[in-house]
Amino acid sequence: MHVPDGFLSPQTYLPAYALAAGGWAYAARELRRRVDETLLPRLAVLAALAFVLMSVMLPLPGGTSVHVSGIGILAVVFGPWLTFAVVSLVLLLQALVLGAGGITVLPVNALAMGLGGSVAACLGYRLLAPRWERAGLFAAGWLASVVPAALIAVVLGLQPALAHTTDGQPLFFPFGLSVTLPAILVPHAVLGLGEGLLTVLVVSFLRRR
Amino acid sequence: MKDRLLLLGYAIAVLAATSVHHPSWLAAGLLVVAALAGRQAPTIGWRALRAVLFFNLVISVGYSASALFGQAVSVDYLILVNIRVYLLIFLTFTLASRIDILRALSFSRGLTYLVTLVLSQIISFRRLFGDLRLAAESRRLRRLQLRERYLQSAAAAAHLFDRAEHDAREIALAMSSRGFFQRDAADHAQRD
Repeated sequence: MHVPDGFLSPQTYLPAYALAAGGWAYAARELRRRVDETLLPRLAVLAALAFVLMSVMLPLPGGTSVHVSGIGILAVVFGPWLTFAVVSLVLLLQALVLGAGGITVLPVNALAMGLGGSVAACLGYRLLAPRWERAGLFAAGWLASVVPAALIAVVLGLQPALAHTTDGQPLFFPFGLSVTLPAILVPHAVLGLGEGLLTVLVVSFLRRR
Repeated sequence: MKDRLLLLGYAIAVLAATSVHHPSWLAAGLLVVAALAGRQAPTIGWRALRAVLFFNLVISVGYSASALFGQAVSVDYLILVNIRVYLLIFLTFTLASRIDILRALSFSRGLTYLVTLVLSQIISFRRLFGDLRLAAESRRLRRLQLRERYLQSAAAAAHLFDRAEHDAREIALAMSSRGFFQRDAADHAQRD
């Protein structure tokens, strides 16, 4: 669900950077508060796993891509703020190492995937897990895939309205919401099933250790 | 300091590339970045092309196809967006080849430590994944059935987790024995 660099207008990514900066400052404080010998190695392992999972991308016709992310796993294990910090870091490394995503789209991808996805995953998990643990884990994985996809579809779909020439031609992403919402949401709703399954398997595996 | 300045210059260049809407200016920017990349320009250029090719092709074809549904299509837009995306990726790869990311992030000790651990884990995951794939291929006499492939992947994933977590814990213990976490505690105490 990465948006590639060059498709978001400054009217979008500059406010997104301002918003994300506040989130990063808070997440850094959380990280400093909770950091110890147990948390940090585990965080690094799951961040690396997220990096590897996010590297395997299948492009979508709407101009974005589809991949599993491991965000549901991170959110259930560490909570939304640490997930936001780790996903932001993974996205930065991906932009610099692989050219996936990019620096202009970093805050939007981080807010959608790292914060939106992890908050939705945590809520879904907390709602279901007390009665049905595995259903809660599955919901966390599915929501971590679908909610960021919806947020990114909206941001992309707004680009033609936000940045265009005087004769109405787009300057950045060319398709409106009527294209982005179905093109991005439908594949992610299906992929979310895989993400949900992965979350159940990995979190169950980690708890057995 | 040099790495942080490079990062700042990169941020300014990115802002400029997304604020200019004339293809000729963006093409000029591309030439400047290629000159800055020096001898690495062809390698970086090819890598950048491979990174953007599919996405840009999909966008360009999709946008052109919208003419079939009676929408106004502009060739200028196609040129503009393709040059801009290519310029941004070229710029990012040029920066990545010149910057030491650990030095650029050295303003935060915790962040540097986390990035070091994550990078080491990524290398560890990739190497182990490759080793396991080669080991499995060398022991295979026939094409594996789907169930066998799943079982093999699950075993490989479990091994990857065990190994990576073991490595990460060793690094954390090494850092701990050198006082990393004690200094953090001292910092907290001082602030409180």
